[in-house]
Amino acid sequence: MIRVEGLQKRFGDVTAVDAVSFAAENGRVTALLGPNGAGKTTTLRMIYAVMKPDSGRVQIDDVDAVGDPQGAQARLGVLPDGFGLYPRLTAREHIHYFGELHGISGARLEERTTQLLKLLDMTAIADRRAAGFSHGERTKVALARALVHNPQNVLLDEPTNGLDVMSTRAVREIIRRLRDEGTCVLFSSHVMQEVSAVSDRIIVIAGGRLVAQGTADELLQRAGRESLEDAFLALAGLEAGSH
Amino acid sequence: MRPFRQVLIVCRKELRDSLRDRRALFPIALAVLLYPALIAMIMTRIASRQREANDITIPVVGRENAPALVDWLSQQSGVHIVDGPEDAEKTVRDGTQSVILIIPKDFAVKFRDSRPAPVKIVEDSSRDGERAKVERVKRLLSGYSNEIGSLRLVARGISPVVAAAVEVQDIEVSSAQQRAATTLAFIPMMVLIAAFTGGMQIATDSTAGERERGSLEPLLVNPAPRAAIVSGKWAAAALLSIATVSLTTILAVVEMRTLPLAELGIRFRFGAEQLASMLAVLVPMCPFIAALQAYIATFARSFKEAQSYMGALMLVPMIPAIAGTMYSFNAQTWMYPVPMFGHYMLLTGIIGGRTISPWSYVANAVVSLVLAGVLVAAMARLFRNERIIFGR
Repeated sequence: MIRVEGLQKRFGDVTAVDAVSFAAENGRVTALLGPNGAGKTTTLRMIYAVMKPDSGRVQIDDVDAVGDPQGAQARLGVLPDGFGLYPRLTAREHIHYFGELHGISGARLEERTTQLLKLLDMTAIADRRAAGFSHGERTKVALARALVHNPQNVLLDEPTNGLDVMSTRAVREIIRRLRDEGTCVLFSSHVMQEVSAVSDRIIVIAGGRLVAQGTADELLQRAGRESLEDAFLALAGLEAGSH
Repeated sequence: MRPFRQVLIVCRKELRDSLRDRRALFPIALAVLLYPALIAMIMTRIASRQREANDITIPVVGRENAPALVDWLSQQSGVHIVDGPEDAEKTVRDGTQSVILIIPKDFAVKFRDSRPAPVKIVEDSSRDGERAKVERVKRLLSGYSNEIGSLRLVARGISPVVAAAVEVQDIEVSSAQQRAATTLAFIPMMVLIAAFTGGMQIATDSTAGERERGSLEPLLVNPAPRAAIVSGKWAAAALLSIATVSLTTILAVVEMRTLPLAELGIRFRFGAEQLASMLAVLVPMCPFIAALQAYIATFARSFKEAQSYMGALMLVPMIPAIAGTMYSFNAQTWMYPVPMFGHYMLLTGIIGGRTISPWSYVANAVVSLVLAGVLVAAMARLFRNERIIFGR
């Protein structure tokens, strides 16, 4: 599980994340919903410990991510925003590289790799170099290498961004599967349908602040709107005339 | 133990990745093969010119005007006399012949009267390669002139020794020998450039390139200390640099053994001892160069920018070589530990057959390795800097 308390991050004069607190439970899918530039990516980066918060705490299971970033990272599987692959390595080599860095090797690594290739339906491209991959294939490779060490917590930054319907479905399928296995899944999105389709709990952030959290129904009630999209706009303060 | 394994994992991945990059391997192949090939070509050309000068055909216009001179010339070893063409100057200007001897009609009359008899040499001094040949002809003529002059003095009852006020003893460093020596001096610069070429690809691709591709952030999400990741990248660049430099050096030494160096007046023999000495200088240098390249490339905002820095860095090994030709400085002990400068001095020393104290090698290697360590530590700090990681 992931617990965040009073998270704060400034870039110069801009406060990108301001006093954000929430928790993402095991066996649940938690969505970080917000418009572009709301601070979703910065929040996630602080959780997966490539950015240090100016203040606040990040707890991954029972590990403090600020004090022990590598301990936290060992418990996380991450699909970062705008991830890149190595064009001259094959899909299988990508999975191996990250697996080895997590300390997995030999038969266990081979077994896990085969399992992931099957799970993500990418056996056909396993030994092709990444240079010619489609966006969907690239996302699958990035997902596979993020999951190679069977992480208890999975962070996905805009995982379905730019994907076609088939690939989007595949990603949703993986998310549900991870949840059913008891994994804590936290993903960010700015797309309403995405969030309502897979998440158990929604955290709405705008302008670096947490503006609402709860289930989809709770958010509808709170905003007094019919559709989730209207509710989101109302909660995020983006409704026409609200400024 | 785990971070050490992670260094190896990153190093192996970077090596595999870069060895698949054909475009990046091209400059390395060039450094390994082209430069030594160039040296071989230059050296064999100089040697063959030298041979040509010893074995010389002289076209003579108006040989009937001085049959005695022509006879004398054709008796000299390696000299063949042929009839010269109609338009001597044109033939030399267009390069058909490199030197033509013209004996004017008044030669015989003046010669008989013991007055200086004119002989014309047609040459093109702008053509550097023919100089040995022209000089040979001039030496032959002045030899003949001295011989006849001496005979004339003897005929008048004067010892020819009186006429020689100064005896010039020629300690000759012929131009061919000089050029061969200059070409040999090119070797240190060549192997230094090879070291820079070898490390360049991984140093840029695994730092600025990795960030530009967006693969740096996923990599840093793995539970590995930044120092381990940085060390792996550096080790890969250093290994490729060592491989490049070793190949180039081995090739250069093998080449020096097969080239006709003795013919060029270079008595020095290249062997296993020189190869080992050169590698003892170069191998500890490569980690330093790789660290310098990777550190600078990490600063670059883009892959392109990193590459242009690498191009500028390539000029560094040329500085001591250029300084060496401008000011002929003597090797002094304090110079050896200075990076690049010391490396250049050691290499020229080895090629020049000088004896160098082992401590000079040790001091040089220690300084290089310490600097490499400092640079890698500084690079690990950069990799902890959010502005560097996310390229803000």
